[in-house]
Amino acid sequence: MEYVNPLTGFRVDGRRPNEMRQLKGEVGVVSRADGSALFEMGNTRVIAAVYGPREIQNRSQQQNNKEALVRCEYRMAEFSTGDRRRKPKGDRRSTEISLVIRQTMEASILTHLMPHSQIDIFVQVLQADGGTRSACINAATLALADAGIPMRDIVTSCSAGYLCSTPLLDLNYIEDSAGGADVTVGILAKMDKVTLLQMDAKLPMDTFETVMDLATEGCKAIATYIREVLLENTKQLECQRG
Amino acid sequence: MVGLSEGEKHFICGGIAQDLRADGRTRLQFRALTVETGIIPQANGSARVRMGATEVIASVKAELGKPTILHPDKGKVSIYVDCSPTAAPMFEGRGSEELSAELSVALQRCLLGGKSGAGAAIDLSSLIVVEGKACWDLYIDGLVVSSDGNLLDALAAAIKVALSDTGIPKVNVSLNAEMDGEPEVDISDEEFLQFDTSGVPVIITLTKVGKHYIVDATSEEESQMSSAVSVSVNSHGQICGLTKRGGAGLDPSVIFDMISVAKNVSQRFYTLLESEIAAAEAAADE
Repeated sequence: MEYVNPLTGFRVDGRRPNEMRQLKGEVGVVSRADGSALFEMGNTRVIAAVYGPREIQNRSQQQNNKEALVRCEYRMAEFSTGDRRRKPKGDRRSTEISLVIRQTMEASILTHLMPHSQIDIFVQVLQADGGTRSACINAATLALADAGIPMRDIVTSCSAGYLCSTPLLDLNYIEDSAGGADVTVGILAKMDKVTLLQMDAKLPMDTFETVMDLATEGCKAIATYIREVLLENTKQLECQRG
Repeated sequence: MVGLSEGEKHFICGGIAQDLRADGRTRLQFRALTVETGIIPQANGSARVRMGATEVIASVKAELGKPTILHPDKGKVSIYVDCSPTAAPMFEGRGSEELSAELSVALQRCLLGGKSGAGAAIDLSSLIVVEGKACWDLYIDGLVVSSDGNLLDALAAAIKVALSDTGIPKVNVSLNAEMDGEPEVDISDEEFLQFDTSGVPVIITLTKVGKHYIVDATSEEESQMSSAVSVSVNSHGQICGLTKRGGAGLDPSVIFDMISVAKNVSQRFYTLLESEIAAAEAAADE
């Protein structure tokens, strides 16, 4: 199957190789949570909710009493994928993604400012169309900012792949399952540091560099968008206060 | 679950006794209701219902399956509910299983009728494609995104709206003798059949706090309840199912009283829901 049209250079969903899907971010979608956000990348749609900082619920989980405990749970809705099948809760894929999100977010949260407390991040996938990992991290960033949790920088994530000898930005499900390499990058946008890097399949070294650069560019574009959403939200809050 | 001081508890109970609740509603008044349809593109039908701070999503997926041997002339419907940890931290991990199971069973009781499928809200024989060979399996999934009490009523409303949004693809069946009589089924991508959802009931939960009962309780009010009765009523005012929750016992005469109140309230809820569905459909068409 051709994932990039050799004549026009367009991808299966009509995008250019270095084009991202439509982004949409919304803050404050779960009214009972301390912070929450909805993030859409094309057809991938996730909700993140943040509870905390609050008292540690389970003392045994506390590892370091000088820093806040960050916890994360990733869950997929039953109807989020194309074919419906019941999966047991806490399957290995979810556990792995939960861990990845937790570690990525922990890198940006100023945990030493909130000792003896815990922060819970819950991400719920409503629709999955490739790049759920990235979308979850972006949603979690928005939700943490909404909850007013001190952070070093905005963490954003984006994936890039390599199919039909073309580097492609922000893979959808069809491209993701095509068997090519899939590089997911998470960066601290302003500090320009990589906090997440995952790749499956194999790539030549020099190609990897271009693909990773492309993903990093994607992350920066998302960071700009997230900043816009937060700024817009802050302006609205300011208006409400009068 | 909800941390309330003695003063707050007293305020909630006192307000209910005086027919003026903490958010300004009277005892039998609902919170603002908003409905959206078609929010999950992969599903055959879907809906999001918001009641105050409670938000639920329901999706309906149809798959071709085989009818059971016991009921070769009926399709199958299953209902599952999941409580997302985004709604409350206590739902993380396996914490939501108990509540999810309770809600799933209550909805099954109210919507699916008995084991034989008699009295079901959805006409199961309308789901049959070829008798004994092929039928539609409907998977109804509920997801609680945000929780502020009255989850059962919100889920039932969401399922009703999702079913009215559902289009089942039209199928062309050609019986092929060479293939051992296995029917060949051709699913149309363009033509859809709409369901008759007029028989799908809504659920009205009456929560008893002190001597009085209220509709559409928030989670603070639910934390003060002694017992609750969920009555499912269809549009003809018939009762389709009944569930009682909570520890305290109820006098039978109180239960009959609650049922008749639920019946009256349900008619008001129907008109509210129907106008919201019409508004949502109009918004979706634009």
